[in-house]
Amino acid sequence: MPEPVDRDDLPQATVSRPRRTKISVVWIIPILAAVIGLGIAIQRIMTEGPTITIVFRSAEGIEAGKTLVKYKDVNIGHVSSVVLTDGYGKVEVTAKMAKTAAGLMVEDARFWVVSPRVTLSGISGLGTLLSGNYIGLQPGKSTKSQRHFTGLDEAPVIPDQPGKTFHLKATDLGSLGIGAPIYYRRLQAGQVVKYDLAPDGKNIDITVFVNSPYDKYVTAETRFWNASGIDVTLGAGGVDVRTESLVALLAGGLAFDTPPYLPVSAPADANASFSLHRDRAEAMKQPDTISRRYVLYFNESVKGLSVGAPVLLFGLPAGEVVDVGLSVDMVTGAARPRVIVTFFPERVVERVTPAGQQAALTAMVKGDAHARLAFVKRAVEEGGLRAQLRSGNLITGQLFVAVDRFPDAPRAKVDWSKDPLELPVVASTLPDLEAKLTSILAKLDSMPFDAIGKELESTVTSASKLMAYMDTTLVPELKSTVDSANQLLGTVDGQLGGTFDEARRVLASADRVLKNTDATLVGTEAPAQQELRDALQEIVRAARAVRVLADYLERHPESLIRGKNGAQ
Amino acid sequence: MSTVVTSAAEAGLVTCETCHLLSRPAKAGRPGYCPRCGAELVWRRHNSIQYAWAFLIAAAICYIPANVLPVLNTNTVTGSEADTIMSGVVFLYTSGSWPLALVVLVASVMIPLGKLIALAYLLITVQWGSVRGNRDRTRLYRMVEIIGRWSMLDVFVDTFTVALVQLQPLMSVEPGAGVVFFMAVVVLTVIAVQLFDPRLIWDAGRRWEARHA
Repeated sequence: MPEPVDRDDLPQATVSRPRRTKISVVWIIPILAAVIGLGIAIQRIMTEGPTITIVFRSAEGIEAGKTLVKYKDVNIGHVSSVVLTDGYGKVEVTAKMAKTAAGLMVEDARFWVVSPRVTLSGISGLGTLLSGNYIGLQPGKSTKSQRHFTGLDEAPVIPDQPGKTFHLKATDLGSLGIGAPIYYRRLQAGQVVKYDLAPDGKNIDITVFVNSPYDKYVTAETRFWNASGIDVTLGAGGVDVRTESLVALLAGGLAFDTPPYLPVSAPADANASFSLHRDRAEAMKQPDTISRRYVLYFNESVKGLSVGAPVLLFGLPAGEVVDVGLSVDMVTGAARPRVIVTFFPERVVERVTPAGQQAALTAMVKGDAHARLAFVKRAVEEGGLRAQLRSGNLITGQLFVAVDRFPDAPRAKVDWSKDPLELPVVASTLPDLEAKLTSILAKLDSMPFDAIGKELESTVTSASKLMAYMDTTLVPELKSTVDSANQLLGTVDGQLGGTFDEARRVLASADRVLKNTDATLVGTEAPAQQELRDALQEIVRAARAVRVLADYLERHPESLIRGKNGAQ
Repeated sequence: MSTVVTSAAEAGLVTCETCHLLSRPAKAGRPGYCPRCGAELVWRRHNSIQYAWAFLIAAAICYIPANVLPVLNTNTVTGSEADTIMSGVVFLYTSGSWPLALVVLVASVMIPLGKLIALAYLLITVQWGSVRGNRDRTRLYRMVEIIGRWSMLDVFVDTFTVALVQLQPLMSVEPGAGVVFFMAVVVLTVIAVQLFDPRLIWDAGRRWEARHA
């Protein structure tokens, strides 16, 4: 039996669907917090850069959490951990890099520990004294990314800048070291990057890096030379001292330049090879393509003649001494100095001015041997061309070989079939300075000083006789001349009198004008004077006023701001 | 002691939350104002549980960046360093001053976390209608309420340090993003605690009795 139902007790159905769950607006707060939190998390993940590991031989100065990785002095990461690896033999450094630096983490990127370095050529890494060591990076060119690297023991010397690497071949290293500067016209243009003994053990291969823009001045014709230390050359030309810079003086260095006489050519390719010359003079010497050797047999001492001494043709540089030796005649036993010189005909030919002649000479120089021989023969036999030793420097006694014309020289007997050709010589004009001086002294000695003295005495006597004669004869003559001159002047006076009167009148009128001016400007009643006096008085009054003001201000400086106080 | 007590609301009375005067409500729907102190009277705080949950969850979310992000960025000549709360604790501990490390650890890490957990526990038990340990739970609520205001200590220290250590260019200290989140945690939990109505703890008893009668 169903129970009676009280309808009023039952709930009333609603027209619309009742809202079961009521979500409050307050939930915006946790949602907002979540959104912000997520945003930060996402941003963190987005900016998270790669983590790399670098294996070093030692972790000197590297601290986890503190040491930074820097590139161009910009922090691009920091070391997060330092652990031993490889059987405790090496150190593995883990670094967290910035996202922006992810592109630098490529295959051939190189890392090293930057610590203060003091060398003769400069101090580097000074900043690390304060900030501690950091890990430097040299970006690679590869695009293949990498996360594991092997660190370098030392900073790579090739700077991170454009430029070219060149190889130099030298016979010895000299005082060069890694980092030694390279100068171009005394500007530092690069540095020595590496040196190594050549595989054959006879040369040194020096790798240098020339920075841009200097690298474009390195052409195929460029010469490199050792600029270390001071280069003092004592030659017939005097003392020649050359040095590149104080650093090069102390630490050694290289220099390069292209000889000016060579045509400008295209810049050399990277990794081109050059030979390293001993010094600038050697490097810059024109490469003489044609050289002719001559032998000279002197009959005097060749002391002071050194290998490399110049050979001057009519005073122009034409060659150099290549050998100074001795020649002994085995039959007679006579010995005499033998000097071999090298003659560079091109040097002479290039100074010949008319272009047509120059071309003709060049053709002859390069032409067949017979024509050349004939030319030299003619010069020697007809032109009297001879070699002679000359003193280049009296103090040092350096000698050089001069080739000049001596038309009066005796005919020389030359065997024209020999090679090298013999050039006849003449005795030096200044073989011995001492001998010359002695002969001068001997000549002085033989001078008849007594006779000269007597001669002088008789001369003085005759001079006094001459004076006496003049007194008696010439003086009356002179008097009459003066008298007639007087007469002449009197006549002139009369004629000039009229002119003088005229001048006097002009002066008188000038005097009047000046008087008038006086009255206006200078007289006691002159208006100008009066005004001047008034002006002076005015200035005196003004000065007094200024003094009063100054006194007042000194006593009441505040009046500058407040004004003059009437009560005071 | 029985957990089931007659609450004022059941007796048709209302307590003032400010001066705790027990008074008869003006109307059943709107109890009106306290005759003694003039504060508005409520039967129970409006949507207490839901609001408290919302703020609590927000606080819990902010707790993560507050601990992960640095609170202080120290710039010195030798470089800059970013410190989170935890790294500060570790630094203090390793540098020998473990009492200070403990203070920071308790005040800045454990108390905020404890507050979050305690409040979550209170809310869950109230929602479940638990009747056990009503008294302890009320005590826990009071403790959380009292401790709440001290949690800003860390923020104060941080701001003081930032204001005092400005020795440009030798050294300077800047606030990190973490301190903002830490402050948000403190403020949000304080609000959550205020929104939670502790009287709800006791209301559960009557429902439990009704269910098990």
